[in-house]
Amino acid sequence: MKTGIFICHCGHNIKHTVDVKKLSEYFKTFPNVTVSQDYVFVCSEPGQDMIKDAIEKEGLDRVIIASCTPSLHGPMFKDVLRKSNLNPFLLRRVSIREHCAWVGNDVEANTEKAKRLILAGLYSSAHHVPLEEKIVDVKKSALVVGGGVSGLSAAIFLSKMGMQVHLVEKKSELGGHVRTLKGVWPAGRDGKSIVEDMVRELEGRENVEIFTSTTITNFEGFFGNYEVTLNTPQGEKKLTVGGAVLAIGFSPFDPSIKPELHYGKDERIITTLEFENNSNTLQLPEKPRVAILHCVGSRDEQIGKVYCSRVCCVNALRVGNALKDNYKDSYVESFYMDVRAHPKGGEEFFEDTQEKGVLFTRANVGEIVPTPTGVIIRGEDTLFGETFEREFDLVVLSIGMSSPEDCKLIANTFKIALDKDNFFMEAHIKLRPFDTAVKGIFIAGTCSGPKDVEESINHGRASAVKLFGLLNLGYTYVDPFISYVDPKRCSGCRMCEHACFSNAIKYDEEKRVVHVEEAACMGCGLCNATCPSSAISLRGYIDPMIDDEISGFTEAI
Amino acid sequence: MKGKKLKSGEIENALNQFLKDEQHLVLGFKKGEGGVGHQIFKGSLDHYSLVNPLFGANAALYLRRLFSKGLKVMLMLRPCEIRAYVELHKLTQVEREDIIAVSIDCFGTVSSKEKKDDVPAEADKLTGYFQDKDSMRWACSVCRERRGVVGDAGVRIDKSGNYWMVPYTEKGEDLVSGMEGEFEEVPAEMLIPESAKTDKFQIDMETFNKDFEKCIMCMNCRDMCPVCYCIDCVFNGDEYLPKGDALLNKVFRTGSTQMPRGKDLFHLIRMYHVSQTCVGCGACEEACPQGIPLTKYFKGVSERLQGVFSYMSGRSFDEPIPYVTFLEDELKDAMD
Amino acid sequence: MAEDEKDKNPEIVGFCCSYCTFKASEMAGSLRMKYPEGIKVIEVPCSSRVDPAFIIKAIVEGADGVFVSGCHPGDCHFIKGNFYTRRKIAALKEMFDAFSMKDKLRLFWVSASEARRFIDKVTTFYNDIKEKNNEREKA
Repeated sequence: MKTGIFICHCGHNIKHTVDVKKLSEYFKTFPNVTVSQDYVFVCSEPGQDMIKDAIEKEGLDRVIIASCTPSLHGPMFKDVLRKSNLNPFLLRRVSIREHCAWVGNDVEANTEKAKRLILAGLYSSAHHVPLEEKIVDVKKSALVVGGGVSGLSAAIFLSKMGMQVHLVEKKSELGGHVRTLKGVWPAGRDGKSIVEDMVRELEGRENVEIFTSTTITNFEGFFGNYEVTLNTPQGEKKLTVGGAVLAIGFSPFDPSIKPELHYGKDERIITTLEFENNSNTLQLPEKPRVAILHCVGSRDEQIGKVYCSRVCCVNALRVGNALKDNYKDSYVESFYMDVRAHPKGGEEFFEDTQEKGVLFTRANVGEIVPTPTGVIIRGEDTLFGETFEREFDLVVLSIGMSSPEDCKLIANTFKIALDKDNFFMEAHIKLRPFDTAVKGIFIAGTCSGPKDVEESINHGRASAVKLFGLLNLGYTYVDPFISYVDPKRCSGCRMCEHACFSNAIKYDEEKRVVHVEEAACMGCGLCNATCPSSAISLRGYIDPMIDDEISGFTEAI
Repeated sequence: MKGKKLKSGEIENALNQFLKDEQHLVLGFKKGEGGVGHQIFKGSLDHYSLVNPLFGANAALYLRRLFSKGLKVMLMLRPCEIRAYVELHKLTQVEREDIIAVSIDCFGTVSSKEKKDDVPAEADKLTGYFQDKDSMRWACSVCRERRGVVGDAGVRIDKSGNYWMVPYTEKGEDLVSGMEGEFEEVPAEMLIPESAKTDKFQIDMETFNKDFEKCIMCMNCRDMCPVCYCIDCVFNGDEYLPKGDALLNKVFRTGSTQMPRGKDLFHLIRMYHVSQTCVGCGACEEACPQGIPLTKYFKGVSERLQGVFSYMSGRSFDEPIPYVTFLEDELKDAMD
Repeated sequence: MAEDEKDKNPEIVGFCCSYCTFKASEMAGSLRMKYPEGIKVIEVPCSSRVDPAFIIKAIVEGADGVFVSGCHPGDCHFIKGNFYTRRKIAALKEMFDAFSMKDKLRLFWVSASEARRFIDKVTTFYNDIKEKNNEREKA
């Protein structure tokens, strides 16, 4: 066996806490290691060339790359092997960055750990065998879930690029929350006209199918050919799509969760959304006294929402601005923790609002008490450290964004992960912010975290571009990690068949052994762990691979 | 529960009747010169013995891969053998359709290793013989189920020495219906009482290492185990054995190295593999040339592991083996 | 690391589901959270791939502890895999308990976003084992 070990410095990232030189020297002494090299960036062009050269010159038959975690750069390194006429499954990735260099400070200890990790990879890689990747056609059609601005912008882009688009909306009307906004900051344009422009653009297109009042009941299959079942008003409908963009938006925070605010108990306590929709019908005196509360449902540990909702500061400023415009002699006081008017032009808008006469008090509001004469706010001024109590005619709660109400249902249906705040989780917060862990499923807009309208539209487009890139290729590789049976070892006890929940194992009455229906196998490996004689094995994770990995860790071999 | 009180000789009559068919076989015990042993009867009974006080082997071992092809086989065996048969049936190693399994009240057995000539073969004398606890195999003295209450039907003995035939399944019902006598309520108290609960098995690795020090890896325990059914055991290959070059690699890396023993793995993994199916018959210990107290470990561990799922191997045909099923709402404290 | 110190530091092998805990461990790495270097993880496609034989093997070969970690019940990518894991590991724990080494095996549920929980779980495990080993040494 000729193994090549390539150890990445990752610039300073790995080298900083792991003695990479020592590692590469150490593995040179192994009889079955032909090449052991360290390099500054193995993923760079020269780094890839180095691997290619080594494979060609030395005739390597196993390649071990000790670098970042296997989920990064996977396809790229596989391609390097492919280009050198080596089966990509003879590649073994060892994570010495996320699982070693970054989690410990002691250079000596980290080097020892990295040594063991690579050792485990080396022994395990001996059991790697060339596997055949199946190439599967990708259906050039996309499912877009959610008809808000991000869903609409994703659908428009995909449709313009020639993909068949199926847009699914739970409500009877497209447009989402933006439809209800009166003046979308900063341009002040009516939200309804924005979404209607988008809907018109979409409706005119031939390759777009819009399903309103529709929910998704089932989603299964693999990238390129996902099977979707829709529950439409006309009945059940089945579709096959290549991939999906999830843009199911958010739920406005419900302030009645906090009883001390008395929201819903008195009509003088309203949210920013209600203010926006009913500002004309509000019965206010000539010189109204209005309080605006920032961060309602955001940055609040008590209710488990520690994140900033990013849009409510500007919303609060808009309320103050509108009040000052309509009631010149009004008394408007904003109670804030910090004013985070981060979008473009936001800081200027903040100053403008202050100039118009809105008072800003840094405060923690303890409670809101409605009385017959007015609404009393009690709290603590956090700049002066004094408690205060003031009476107002109206209290506007600037509410934040909560995770969408269907988040768990959709996450379960599409088998994607939720983050701690129940928003959809990105595959990598920096490097793959639009991807989920499931191939071909992207997230767009506020369902992955609070965003304003502009960001949501951009996010929708970006996810659409990513999906388009995958779909437009027209084919995809399918991981051959499915189970196979050694009929000579199989005792026909059918334990695996009973355990398999995807019904992929079938018993042959004649031969009294089982076989695997490859198309149905999902590759979990339960059968492998259930079979006492390991007659059934999961490709890519066969027993000896894991056994030797353990032995590498424990230094038993 | 209803059953039939049998006249003396009725069991033999019924079996002989059954054997009249060319296609019918009875697997039971025969009294021979060297003592009692397993026998397959064809045509008619010959020196038939209802009970067998010598353990020998667990007859379920012979049933593996028994697919009758139209033959009808009646099993007249000890409860531990019938329980092993039930487990093998769940593992598709033996078919159920043409097999009638009858469990017979068991008085306990004598180990083959200390076979004594004075062991009586008659049921009425055995109770007295086994008054002396030391004459019984240890496995039998801690047996979980010595009553003939498993399988399709059971032969029970009441306190005054009468034999009863009690059906447990439809097939048993058919069998008992064909026998002479009327169905009547079976007495609540029988000669063989329900087994006393044994203490939870508790040991430590030091004792384990000491006990298994003697193991020579002959794997007889595996070969004689009625529920170790694999055609090709994982321990037949070299998967769990240290590989030469890897070992040398380690020596050069870390200096003098103790050779791995391999046998700890063999026993512990086999213990897990049979944990839900082990009937505690002690066949492994009977087969061990080194006298390792295997029953203590295998029976002890398997009883604890079956207890986790309130399962008992061989108790019923309908209970699935716990590892291939689950409940969504269970084992709340399994998670740390 | 000095030779005498090395003996005291536990070696822990963890089996992590590639869809949840392994992702959480990646995230913990990217967030530069720290955990002892004795903890080494093996990626498996689903926690149900973990054959109890692997765990026994790791312990017999000298690991001080083994943990298996998968998605929370009901969240399995393969729909039901972790329910089987729970049964197998519960049984194996009972077996370890019979051999008076219950403290050497743990089962966690850690989802992909719970990097903090991953760190908490493995570090607690590590510290518990270290404490036990020290006690044993003294005794």
